[in-house]
Amino acid sequence: MADLSIDFAGIKSPNPFWLASAPPTNTGYQVQRAFEAGWGGAVWKTLGEPVINTSARFAAVHFGGQRVAGFNNIELITDRPLEVNLKEIYETKRRFPDHTIIASLMVEPKREKWHEIVKRVEAIGVDGLELNFGCPHGMAERGMGAASGQQPDLVLAQTAWVKEVATTPVIVKLTPNITDITVVARHAVKGGADAISLINTINSLAGVDIHSWNTIPNVGGQGAHGGYCGPAVKPIALSMVAECARDREVGVPISGIGGISTWQDVVEFMLMGSTGIQVCTAVMHHGFRIVEEMIDGLNHYLDGKGLASVTELIGQSVPRYSNWGDLDLNYKVVARINEENCINCNKCHIACEDASHQCIDMLTNAEGKAILQVREEDCVGCNLCSIVCPADGAIDMVALDSGLAPMSWNQRSRIISGVNGSYSEAEVV
Amino acid sequence: MSAFAEFDQERQRIDSLIGQGYTITGIYEDLDGARVTFIRSEPAGEPVELLLLTADARKHVTALLVSGFRMVAVVESYS
Repeated sequence: MADLSIDFAGIKSPNPFWLASAPPTNTGYQVQRAFEAGWGGAVWKTLGEPVINTSARFAAVHFGGQRVAGFNNIELITDRPLEVNLKEIYETKRRFPDHTIIASLMVEPKREKWHEIVKRVEAIGVDGLELNFGCPHGMAERGMGAASGQQPDLVLAQTAWVKEVATTPVIVKLTPNITDITVVARHAVKGGADAISLINTINSLAGVDIHSWNTIPNVGGQGAHGGYCGPAVKPIALSMVAECARDREVGVPISGIGGISTWQDVVEFMLMGSTGIQVCTAVMHHGFRIVEEMIDGLNHYLDGKGLASVTELIGQSVPRYSNWGDLDLNYKVVARINEENCINCNKCHIACEDASHQCIDMLTNAEGKAILQVREEDCVGCNLCSIVCPADGAIDMVALDSGLAPMSWNQRSRIISGVNGSYSEAEVV
Repeated sequence: MSAFAEFDQERQRIDSLIGQGYTITGIYEDLDGARVTFIRSEPAGEPVELLLLTADARKHVTALLVSGFRMVAVVESYS
């Protein structure tokens, strides 16, 4: 059995599975039940001046029979006074001293406000702080959350104010609602952040009811934008984690968040540079006990790979994440259809004919059987046919040896510039 | 005509010039494709320009340079 424990910026945790700051970490009752189920840590629902929340609050996007492919919320931070939360944090930490409790914090961007809440929270004994610069709704309209997180200088300043008084590690939680998340990440680090967590939710409107014409969700017929999360956002989150992980000016541990629902998702986020991960939507959908399967799955995976510690996964795939301009243009894959597995649904032909390069022919073989065949010389290796194919093993993407030396767009541009005697192309990054 | 056939026609024209001793001395890319200039010193002749339309042919001509196949000749032509 592999060692699942992690050391996240000096914060010890029995495993990398943390609950994200969200409705599942609203109370001591919930967090203690989560720890009993196996979660290694929890980021307490964001503390700040208590708000008043609306009813309704949540909505989901169901897609193709998959419930909760995406999840939208307009709930804000805690609506309970600070002392009530602190008392429950204290009791929870006393019952579970080896588990990790991080306090998520959000106050107005004023130095004295940050000093006050940091001192009061750390006085009851938490393992770390997470600065919520990410919530896109409600608090942002008051100058907090994403409104702070979208201004790099404000992220730097607020992080520095917290670090003036904090005695525990400081994690800065980043908003994805920005053009380049690494800019904000670098500013957090300049402000003294010990770690970053990403992503917070994405600006969203879950839908419009085509019968009532109301937004989904709506509060008495009125709606507002919310924060989107769940499996649908995982690729966005993974990309942003990867961008931060490979940025040498960031260089701090990453807590990966965004659509993580399975142990496989956890492995992906860790391979792409996360030291630990946080989960919310999957718990809201399935409950705390999903962690049991995540722990079992991760253990079996690590054993199968012969890894003694989960930390051996961290960042292994980061060197394989590059710039488009550095990809090898001479690398070539083509589709090959396996007749024995093909069910002749023709989806590959339709996809290729309508949306790609028209290289899958509908033919009849010598036995009079309808077959699909790829003209490999015309195939550009786009993968679309294998993506739409519903039959396992019916289409393989096969790498061909072009016999050519690797050549990237950037190399090509340099060669052309050299031949022409002047630089005419900007490099692609 | 298939995309490969279009490429193959352009590749044959490139390879034919290379086979005749031409070297690549200029590649200028614009909205219409890549204009590739070929020059032969022995026997001397007028420069030849090909307008390459297909992506694979534009890749092929630079792949030749990357592979070093004509790089020596290109350098020599400037010396």
